[in-house]
Amino acid sequence: MDVAGLDCLCILAQDERSVYTRPVVSNDEVAALRDANKPRFFAFASVDPKVPNAVFELRRCFDELKLDGLSLNCSKLKIDPLDTRLIDFYETCLDEDKPILFHCGCSYENNTLSEYTHPLKFERIAATYPNLRIGLEHFGWPWVKETAMLMLKYPNVYVDTGALYFDSALEFYSYIFNHEYQLTWVERSLRHQIMFGSDNPRFEQIRMAKALDKLGLSSSTLELIKGQNAIDFLGVDDNVRSH
Amino acid sequence: MLEVIEKSILTEKYNEMINITQDIKEELERHKIQEGFITIQTMHTTTGITVNESLECLEQDIEDLLSQLVPEEKPYHHARMLRDYGSTAGNATGHLKSFICGNHCHFALKNGQLLMGSAQQVYFCEFDGPAKRNYTIIINTA
Repeated sequence: MDVAGLDCLCILAQDERSVYTRPVVSNDEVAALRDANKPRFFAFASVDPKVPNAVFELRRCFDELKLDGLSLNCSKLKIDPLDTRLIDFYETCLDEDKPILFHCGCSYENNTLSEYTHPLKFERIAATYPNLRIGLEHFGWPWVKETAMLMLKYPNVYVDTGALYFDSALEFYSYIFNHEYQLTWVERSLRHQIMFGSDNPRFEQIRMAKALDKLGLSSSTLELIKGQNAIDFLGVDDNVRSH
Repeated sequence: MLEVIEKSILTEKYNEMINITQDIKEELERHKIQEGFITIQTMHTTTGITVNESLECLEQDIEDLLSQLVPEEKPYHHARMLRDYGSTAGNATGHLKSFICGNHCHFALKNGQLLMGSAQQVYFCEFDGPAKRNYTIIINTA
């Protein structure tokens, strides 16, 4: 984190027990990691909607563990984001004023289906719950224009930059920001809804953070992408957390 | 006879030279080895082992030279999705710097002392850090 110039990270639980039989990373584990590393980590809950009483576990995550949001990977769960089992999740997040992060776009891992994570799958949620803060991960790549449309249309939709599927970090970001998007789109219209994200920490966190600086974005937009937008998305008071 | 000592190191920077000479000497002393040939070898492909004089200015010159030879922003073939890793490889510079640096060095050991020049120090070189890294001290006493 220090080498990449990052002062905070979001860590995600991973509970798709209907697929993997048990949580890969439990909610209690991310809560413990967050608590042991305050204020550097934000921790997101993960709850398998196919498990009975799932919404009670989500309430426990927010009320007892004080987790910072919900993370859902519908491509792993093979569940449509509009499935009725998820409606209680959305209303719980709204009720608790917690954001929700969706894996969005390409699902590279085995045993996943990208059809469940197309950006347009999330439009009805954004439209139905205008006060629900929705984070679409990985720019929704390869459907990045669709994510731009969603941001343009819905101010409650945020997108993160955790996308690196071809080429180097700088080359791939240049392709997204300069070819799929225009820098002017970001500077003039989308600058409050894009958040820095690196996804897999194993390889590219440092190079992705540095690549973002080299795209020609204004310093004020970079500050938003690397900080304030995430603070707004998380719904936390920056001063309270004393980062 | 071959003896292998495994060592771990936590690097702290993206590119970094870490003087490991004293660690090696302490391991040899702890294992009470008097004579033989030793090899210090990194276990990674984005790190290196080299021998040089321990001066901050030289460390900077070496880092600058490697950065000039292997700049970060070039269209490297390695910058692609690696299916087995499930992630994109952006660390071509680490591999190429490791290739230039080399992965090991040798010294003779006599009467419990490494036969080193007075300016010679052993460096573990990180080219894709920070990370937990491993290197081995291989001792041939035959």
